[in-house]
Amino acid sequence: MSDTLLTATGLAVSYGAVKAVRGSDLEVKEGEVVALLGPNGAGKSSTLRAIVGLIKSQGKVTFAGEDLTGAPTERIVSMGISMVPEGRRLFPQLTVRENLLLGAPRKAKIDALFDELLEKLPILRERLNQQAGTLSGGEQQQVALARALMSKPRLLLIDEPSLGLAPTIVDAVYQILADLRKTGLAMVIVEQEVTRVLKFADRAYAMTTGEIALQGRAEELLASNEIKKVYLGGA
Amino acid sequence: MDALISYLVNVISLGGTYALLALGLAVVFSVLGLINFAHGELMTLTGYILLAGILTGQPFWVAVLIAVLACGLAAVLMEFAAFRPVRNASGATLLMTSFAVSMLLQVLFQNGISARGQAIPVPPWLTTSISIGNSQISKVQVMSITIGILALIALKIFFDRSYWGWAIRAAADDFEVVGLMGIKASRLISFAFLLSGLLAGIAGVLWVVQRGSVDPLMGFKPVLAAFIVAVIGGLGSLTGAVAGGFILSAIEIALQTWLPDGVMAYRDAITYTVVVIILSFFPNGIFGKRDQEKV
Repeated sequence: MSDTLLTATGLAVSYGAVKAVRGSDLEVKEGEVVALLGPNGAGKSSTLRAIVGLIKSQGKVTFAGEDLTGAPTERIVSMGISMVPEGRRLFPQLTVRENLLLGAPRKAKIDALFDELLEKLPILRERLNQQAGTLSGGEQQQVALARALMSKPRLLLIDEPSLGLAPTIVDAVYQILADLRKTGLAMVIVEQEVTRVLKFADRAYAMTTGEIALQGRAEELLASNEIKKVYLGGA
Repeated sequence: MDALISYLVNVISLGGTYALLALGLAVVFSVLGLINFAHGELMTLTGYILLAGILTGQPFWVAVLIAVLACGLAAVLMEFAAFRPVRNASGATLLMTSFAVSMLLQVLFQNGISARGQAIPVPPWLTTSISIGNSQISKVQVMSITIGILALIALKIFFDRSYWGWAIRAAADDFEVVGLMGIKASRLISFAFLLSGLLAGIAGVLWVVQRGSVDPLMGFKPVLAAFIVAVIGGLGSLTGAVAGGFILSAIEIALQTWLPDGVMAYRDAITYTVVVIILSFFPNGIFGKRDQEKV
């Protein structure tokens, strides 16, 4: 767990005059699970989107020793970073199978990986030929996770995995994430359910108004009152 | 009965051409959010290349194939030269660019070839008819229907079975997330223009063979109809483009067939009134995007 996988240095994102992220420094080690916390508008999703190249940013991003600053999204994905966007954002008109196959590189041999994912997420096997837009929220989250795994990432960025899901479904989603962690997959999880994600993560960053206000071991942040101050604006 | 057969033949023939044209517009709209009004000039270009092929002694089907492929290539070049430099500009800029390309090509056709229409010498066997009951159906219409239906079936297979077909359908849903699938945006856009150009080429061949000539301004009317078709179906919806093509064709041919002579001059006005009524019930088009998310 000592090898650094991802570093973001001085990461900054602006939407016109609005500065959403103001020079954040982040680090993720091999196999590590990192939580990214903060109130709405703190810049968490913008940070993930900047790392994966969906929005223009300033600062430097390196992944597995390679400089990814300014690289297009498809190159970043091919390097081994995958993302489950907020709200899942499946292709609703496409079937589950088509969603999953689009997640894999075009010429990749994916039969074994496809079967492995269906083994892990058996509900998807029953839904393979169903339009993704007709699935329940929990099922959609499973498809979104599976789709992101089809590119065999080394780092998975997950934006709000529990958003809009019933508590029992969230339990199931976190069980899947726990299984993924055992495979050595590194993750960055943006989450509003602070207690749940801090119990799950190794480390956490907490953002307010585009800056990292707090960072540390997840269990230490869970035990302290500092994280509450971030949400109440006192950090 | 004969009138009905004749009506259906005309609807399918024109509807297939409209559907192919509207699909070409919809494919590009899916990836770029642009209605490419220069699509009509791609049809015109196809007509001129077909004419050149026939005049230089190529067999008819070889000339058709060359014209369609050249149209696909021209669409890719159009994207590269005109749209790529302004890809990240506003929708209005893209739209103005498409009008500029359209007008530039019209002027080039007028000055480089001729402002007058050129007759397309179709092979003699295409000028005869076949009989169904008491109805006479021209072989040009038979060819239109056959090619139109085969092209739509081929497209259906392409969209359902191929990686690039899924990618274009996915782009119609959410272009940004297609990038997260590791698909290079510029490659997908080039591919969409290639497909759009091939569709314009096929529709262009059907159009010029049916009307028997090609002229520099020929593309405007069909591309306007295709735009309306795409709006009826739901902008960006591929299924909607096909449905819209046949709906507009059914309205136009019905009015053409059964409207009394005294009010025939109002045919287009009535057509578009019906379109407005349809859109008042389906403001996003019949297959337009609705909220698909289920939580």
